[in-house]
Amino acid sequence: MQVRLFALSTCPYCRMTKKYLDQLGIEYEFTEVDTLEGDERTTAIDEVQRLSGGKSFPVVVLDDEVIVGFNKKRMKELLEG
Amino acid sequence: MRHMFNEGTSIDDLKEFMAPFVARLGYKFNTETEFVDEVLESELEILAQTGDIYCPCRIRSEDPKEDLKIVCPCIPFYRDEFAAIKKCWCGLFILNEVEDGEELLGVIETPEGSVDVPVFLANDLPEGQIRHVKVGKKDIAIAHVGDEFFALSNVCRHAFGPLGEGFMEEHVVICPWHGWRYDVRDGTTDHPNADVKTYPVAVRDGEVFVSVEVKPSY
Repeated sequence: MQVRLFALSTCPYCRMTKKYLDQLGIEYEFTEVDTLEGDERTTAIDEVQRLSGGKSFPVVVLDDEVIVGFNKKRMKELLEG
Repeated sequence: MRHMFNEGTSIDDLKEFMAPFVARLGYKFNTETEFVDEVLESELEILAQTGDIYCPCRIRSEDPKEDLKIVCPCIPFYRDEFAAIKKCWCGLFILNEVEDGEELLGVIETPEGSVDVPVFLANDLPEGQIRHVKVGKKDIAIAHVGDEFFALSNVCRHAFGPLGEGFMEEHVVICPWHGWRYDVRDGTTDHPNADVKTYPVAVRDGEVFVSVEVKPSY
């Protein structure tokens, strides 16, 4: 499963989500959007908007499923298939 | 008037500033105090970087006007959606009626359907007066008549005048622009095909709630 996490350095739920994924020991692509600059930042924000329809964090992408927020139950369901 | 937030602003300053204000909107700080401190600590970091207390869980667009909508507390911009999930997006604030905020940490998907949205304290609208409130994208006028509250569309059907700035005569609001009259109990007017929508209102523990349909937007 391809897993991506879009996060902000300032956001408590992003930290919780990261911690949870780390605990599971799975590999994932991590993008900390607010610490990016210039085009990289713009591209990442556009990507988050396209995926989630908003600018709220965290955004977790599990294959083609998008979860906005720290939704442990939903992540567990998808990761355990 | 730029003395509220500065380099020396502390978590306690933020609490002291926000608590009385959000109470009037129907909210209080989350009962999970460590979590509250973590969020406010993040807000102080953002304050140091940017000069304002933006939401730590949303990205700034760099458009100053747009970004004003995510200055904490952002409750007034999302009051219908937040009422549905019983907390603000971060969970820094929870509805006054929620006893234990722990179960609200993390995300709760917004249920669709009608939800009671707290709008102001009953004492904040004297008897015989009417006031405009913004609830999500809806403009609603709430009137206080006798010991009851009534909610109807804020927009007069004639020329879109603001009924929330109108004049009250018992159960009738008079539009301030051209004098069209509406009964606040059912939204009816003398003009044909020009009645306005009304909304159910409840008063609980000194708070006024208006019931609206919610569709999540974030």
